[in-house]
Amino acid sequence: MNRYRPRTLALELLMVAAGVAFLFPVYALIVLSLKDAGQIASSPLGLPKPPTVDNYTEAWSTASLGSALLSSTLITVVSLVLLIAIGSCGAYFLARRATRLGYGLYILFLLGIVLPFQLGMIPLYNLFSKLELIGTYQSLILFYTGIQLPFTIFLYTGFIRALPADYATAALVDGASHFQAYTRIVFPLLRPITGTVLILNAVFIWNDFFTPLLYLGGSAHETIPVRIFAFVGQYVSDYGLVFAGLVLGAIPILLVFLLLQRYVIKGFASGLKG
Amino acid sequence: MTAIDGRLNRAQFLRIIGGLAAGAAVPGLLSACGGGSGDSDTLTLVGVADEKGPLDVLTKAYADSGSGITFKASYAPTDQVQTSLRAQLGGGNAPDIHALYPGSGSAMSTTDIAKAGLLADLSGQQWTSAIPENLKTSFQHDGKVYLFSSGLTVIGTIYNKSVFAAAGVQIPKTWSELISTCEKLKAAGKVPIALGAQTQWVTQLITYALVASHVYRDTPDFDDQMLAGKATFAESGWKQSMALYMDLRDRGFFNDNPNGTTLEQQTAMVGTGQAAMAVQVAPLLPAFRDAAPNKDDIDMFPFPSADAAEQVYTWSGANVGIGVHAKSKNKDAALKFVEFLGKQENINTWCEVVAAIPLKRDASSKIDPALVSFLPLIDAGRVAPVGQRWPNAEVQPTHFTVIQDLLAKKITIDDGLKKMDEVYRKSS
Amino acid sequence: MSTQVLEASPTAPPERPARRRPRNRLGPPWLFVAPALLCYGAIVLYPSASGVLYAFTDWSGLGDWSFVGLRNFDSLLHDDRALGALRNTLLLTVAIVVVQNGIGLLLALGVHARIKSRMLLRAVFFAPVVVSPVMVAFLWKYVYNPAPNAGLNGVLGAVGLGSLRQDWLGDPSLALWSVAAMVVWQHAGYSMVIFLAGLEGISKDVREAATIDGAGPVKRFRYVTWPLLAPATTINVMLSTIGGLKIFDQVFAATSGGPGYATETLSTVLYKEAFVFGRYGYSTAVALVLALFVAAVSLVQIRYLRAREDQT
Repeated sequence: MNRYRPRTLALELLMVAAGVAFLFPVYALIVLSLKDAGQIASSPLGLPKPPTVDNYTEAWSTASLGSALLSSTLITVVSLVLLIAIGSCGAYFLARRATRLGYGLYILFLLGIVLPFQLGMIPLYNLFSKLELIGTYQSLILFYTGIQLPFTIFLYTGFIRALPADYATAALVDGASHFQAYTRIVFPLLRPITGTVLILNAVFIWNDFFTPLLYLGGSAHETIPVRIFAFVGQYVSDYGLVFAGLVLGAIPILLVFLLLQRYVIKGFASGLKG
Repeated sequence: MTAIDGRLNRAQFLRIIGGLAAGAAVPGLLSACGGGSGDSDTLTLVGVADEKGPLDVLTKAYADSGSGITFKASYAPTDQVQTSLRAQLGGGNAPDIHALYPGSGSAMSTTDIAKAGLLADLSGQQWTSAIPENLKTSFQHDGKVYLFSSGLTVIGTIYNKSVFAAAGVQIPKTWSELISTCEKLKAAGKVPIALGAQTQWVTQLITYALVASHVYRDTPDFDDQMLAGKATFAESGWKQSMALYMDLRDRGFFNDNPNGTTLEQQTAMVGTGQAAMAVQVAPLLPAFRDAAPNKDDIDMFPFPSADAAEQVYTWSGANVGIGVHAKSKNKDAALKFVEFLGKQENINTWCEVVAAIPLKRDASSKIDPALVSFLPLIDAGRVAPVGQRWPNAEVQPTHFTVIQDLLAKKITIDDGLKKMDEVYRKSS
Repeated sequence: MSTQVLEASPTAPPERPARRRPRNRLGPPWLFVAPALLCYGAIVLYPSASGVLYAFTDWSGLGDWSFVGLRNFDSLLHDDRALGALRNTLLLTVAIVVVQNGIGLLLALGVHARIKSRMLLRAVFFAPVVVSPVMVAFLWKYVYNPAPNAGLNGVLGAVGLGSLRQDWLGDPSLALWSVAAMVVWQHAGYSMVIFLAGLEGISKDVREAATIDGAGPVKRFRYVTWPLLAPATTINVMLSTIGGLKIFDQVFAATSGGPGYATETLSTVLYKEAFVFGRYGYSTAVALVLALFVAAVSLVQIRYLRAREDQT
């Protein structure tokens, strides 16, 4: 069944056609980002003639995307490190404690996936405000770590449950501490699901617009989406700039996906059995 | 696996957690100079994206003028700015200066924020003497001025001159002339009036343009009557205005599918000459010009909403502006900056960037040529700031949905107005 | 939380024999979950719990408030707009769950096969997932241009399907489905990746055995692949249901709930009540109902789907 047969060719053609159809909005995004306002008005989705990269250079400089890129990267990376550290440890505990209390805690964490974020938005803002964290990177890092923990724990717990506990048990019996057993034996086995956790959380954190606006608006630490949205006015929106900024902002995250693609799929694959 | 002392492990673990916490703290050190710091020489400012143009110029001018002030400004789309500002005001962490809308009845409107005691009084400032009598309610609450707005904006007809010329039509001065103009344009294969009602706020413009003549010309105190419960939408010129609005639809003067057409598509239709006119606000003039191959093709005239030219009133209201946070640690510096914005040359600059009409004009005021035809109406007081004194913030969005439902023929005008009356009487 | 550790620490090298004792506590100590609990408690649980309080007040979001008992919930029962939003939310969720996962499954089957372009296509189908949902909505407004020669309508015309041209976002009976299509486009790749993972988990032997038994592709899918994809289906259905019920960004950026109230969802209602109309108390009541609703639906789903997994 591994041979490339006529039927495989037919499938290949069909899938490529689906891919092309799927890319239509992406095509729209790219051509819009290569046009000036006049061209966007006269033929929004036609081929740009001539294409202009002015939007890219202008978005980069006007929105100071360079410094925004640093802010976004810093916030995303630190949040991810915390999420992976705290989330995997927590999930390890939840997955290995087959008690009623452990299960109850797991459900408590899952509750976080269903809560609408608007419910706690104002009280949390007030809390951060009292702690004088508004306008700092910490506020966002703490926010993302907390808000994405339920999903992270959900992914890790499913995965860890499917792992045999024997190795870690053997290490413990050999006299290793729980912490050693975790860092040396369990965590390396979590690599695939960590890839999944990484990419899915990164996508959310990288693209989030409202929270950075709320917590960092007006500070020197604005993230990429905040800077890009400054071009969207009620009256006059410069969509050429917006879409060029969007393409620039999406490239890093797409690269991360391409690099992690193998892990993402494997991570899900092994986690599903939980 | 070697055995290691349990205590050490715990210490190790704690150290790692501590390390992570420190990792999270490092950015904090980097951000020591960040927002919310209350430095007396740094003003924080949050504006809507439409204010970015003028405020970029004016904050820079102020910083360069030897004021010793630097700005930390950010701009974002209206919805998100309103949401984050309300959260910030509630959390006691508002920027020193922020976007503020005239009058009452929206999430960040002057009256609503002033009522909560969160705005600094601007009354003593010199520019306030230029506020026209009929717009005082837009700037004030309880007799004190809280809003700085550089000037007026108008709703009118933005049109493409070359389309008019090709169809051999002139600027209509009365309603019946408008109808015959539209018929000729339609016969010439053009969309007479482009309407982008998918963008919700655009739905209200034609109503407002008509209501100015059909309600406020005869009943200038209509807002007071409504607030006192002595008038209703259903039994006022609102009904006739909506009937005329829908008459334009029934005559086929709008593009097909206005509910699915966005503001950007409306702009493009007029710019590229597919459509002849659009009823729009003046700040959109630059966007229409950008969409036209030849910028000079775009011009504007008052919407001929009445049967006789001298009966035409125009919608005119204060532009979105800024307010100063009452509890700002830098209130004095912020007030000084507003005073600076109120200088005639700076009002002129602001208005030039956004195609508005300055509160007070002088010889150096450069009025956008497209707006010159509105000046006689403004100077004669033939203006009405419809929709700036709603008692709650739900009336305006209800109006949007009523128009969309009317355009889709899902409800009748009477139903729509009844619904607006109900919402009007809801407590805020 | 530290009792566990204190118990463990005396069992240092000197007391080696004690370590040999069969431990009933091979599970990790509480310290492992403590940071997560602390962070989750402070950032999610505590603020949400204090938020719930506002559901019983008339707070506008600024200034003073007073308790109004259950009045907000009573108004909710009589709020046609909120009830219409509930209906829209359910319809949208069902559409998203069925179509997104259906397409996701087909894509996964396609790129799991031995076709040459499979790695490239995986990236292509996943790419929309990484774009911000608000931006996707801005973009799709160009795709959904109702003019006959623009956007999607233009493409339909060019391939001879001109009769299928629509007023995508303007027709009140179509707008909700247009929004659903946009969401499906963005997230089908997400479902695909999860199904793909499920497929990679099915051992080759099982499928080859089925082939040898003479089962055709349809039979093989029906009796071998589909049952073994049950865990992937569970996760996909659960995540897309929760996502659908909570959907906000895409709807708000694409239509703001219009035309009329045709695409209003519970999340847009709750947003507008809180931050546009200044009825924060009432909006919290809506949020609470939404949360309970999502929790109930996911609980029922997970029970049913897990039971189905166990049968296979």
